[in-house]
Amino acid sequence: MTSSNNFQWRRDRDGLGVWEHRGKVAVVGYGHSPVDRRWDGVNLDTSLGAYTIMACEKAMEQAGVTIDQVDGIVCCDSHIAGGSGGSASNWAPRPYFDPPYDSEYGITLINAQWLINAMGFKNVRFAPTGVPTIGEMMGMASQAVGDGVCNTCLVIYPTGNLEGRYRRGGENADDFARGARQWTVPWGNHGGNDFINIFPHNQYCLKYGGEHDDLAPFVINQHKNGMLTLWGFNYNHGIEPISVEDYKTSRYILNPLRIWDCDRPVNASAAYLFTTAERAQDMKSQPVYVLNHSQHNFRFRTTQPDLDEVEMWTDRQAARMYEGAGLGPADVDIFNPYDGYSIMTQFFLEGFQWHGVKRGDAFAFYAGDISVKGPHPFFSSGGNLGNGRTRSAMYTDSIEQLRGTAGDRQVTVRAETALCAFTTPSSGGWLMLGKYQS
Amino acid sequence: MTTLISFDIDGTLEVGDPPGCITLDMVRAAKASGCIIGSCSDRTVSNQQRIWETAGIAMEFTVLKHQLDAVKEQFPAEDYYHIGDTDLDRQYAERNGFHFLLPDVDVVQLWENGN
Repeated sequence: MTSSNNFQWRRDRDGLGVWEHRGKVAVVGYGHSPVDRRWDGVNLDTSLGAYTIMACEKAMEQAGVTIDQVDGIVCCDSHIAGGSGGSASNWAPRPYFDPPYDSEYGITLINAQWLINAMGFKNVRFAPTGVPTIGEMMGMASQAVGDGVCNTCLVIYPTGNLEGRYRRGGENADDFARGARQWTVPWGNHGGNDFINIFPHNQYCLKYGGEHDDLAPFVINQHKNGMLTLWGFNYNHGIEPISVEDYKTSRYILNPLRIWDCDRPVNASAAYLFTTAERAQDMKSQPVYVLNHSQHNFRFRTTQPDLDEVEMWTDRQAARMYEGAGLGPADVDIFNPYDGYSIMTQFFLEGFQWHGVKRGDAFAFYAGDISVKGPHPFFSSGGNLGNGRTRSAMYTDSIEQLRGTAGDRQVTVRAETALCAFTTPSSGGWLMLGKYQS
Repeated sequence: MTTLISFDIDGTLEVGDPPGCITLDMVRAAKASGCIIGSCSDRTVSNQQRIWETAGIAMEFTVLKHQLDAVKEQFPAEDYYHIGDTDLDRQYAERNGFHFLLPDVDVVQLWENGN
């Protein structure tokens, strides 16, 4: 397999101009596995590997593409629970199973080579290693297809979860802050976006007015949209809608962050199929076109970003995306940013100025009609909060809205362009999709 | 005076996600023996109440995980127990003067031994 380091694909600088492949790359398929809370450690048919194969098959089937036609595989080869996932992300030292489940690959990790072997791909010529998360992968695949590195490319995002304390294993479970961690994480874990975003969120409330619980209408709406997403966790596991009272009385995870402000780790996999706009015309699904992609990884001034930094970062993300797509805020119909923690979403909403929302306006916007059938169908996917921590709902909903196949989630406003992302204020990536090539 | 038992749901009760080893019959048996019983979970109160309605078990209380203090205030009892599967259950139980029990073989034996 090739290393992703060999391919200069990122659009991660200001002022790059309109993307050279705007409208020439298309998404022609997607597939979702079932979304379980966690793998039971027994049934290999519901393992991360089996679910990933299922997602790939669905994506190819949707477009009418065969295994022989796929010549690119971009698969995130790290675990969503990260290096400190502990028993929630590592199967070892428990014994492995018969091939292809005879290592961590197929159980807790997936990479392109494992998929090539397990599914029998024969014509793959682009299968990078060290692949980033879905927020950047979607851009990587877009650029690879646009540049001709491959023609028909599967993008796979596995999100595994085993029994155990998610992201609270390894050094995060240590009773001591050893070495450099005594300076950076003296309380145990300061790496999570819960902790990182609380400070600027509190600054936001002080600067613009309002209080944390003003997020309630947004979080509740995410749950409503999730219950309209037929493949998602909430819909399939009978997660009941929450009320304002449920929200306001719920337990603090990290004051003022409440339990409903946090997404739910799940065991699932998603796949997307990218190809050239030209080839897409011969496929059986309705294509949506990539109008731009961008990535960002802004440097922290200190270990703790403040509101000024977060607003500057999200302003720059928006400028890059609008410039590369040749569009402006008024042109974006569907807006699916990121909500792994509800406290970061307002920064994206205001940075991108969707539906005219400016700095400090988000809480008032949330208090209005943001339902999918209303005039401001914000985050129509339901995101992670409404579907589980797949990080893929934003992309699938955007594709469905542009195709007009979102079912009960279909918006009633115009749906010709969509912005979607997996991103935090400091790092991640965005994708702009269009119903039409230009 | 009597004994009060608070049940966590997920990872503790057989109807939890993941299922735990405490069966609904064990809950019924505790109630039949005169214990004050209820649930204490991160699930919404309405969801907890629906579980007990479906099971046909009348609970004395259904509260959120961080509200065990209110349970103790409301229900005088000789002994207070909270059965749960996480460190968080232990933290809230011990903070509020409850005996903490993990849902494991030892707890099941308490029922089998008629305790």
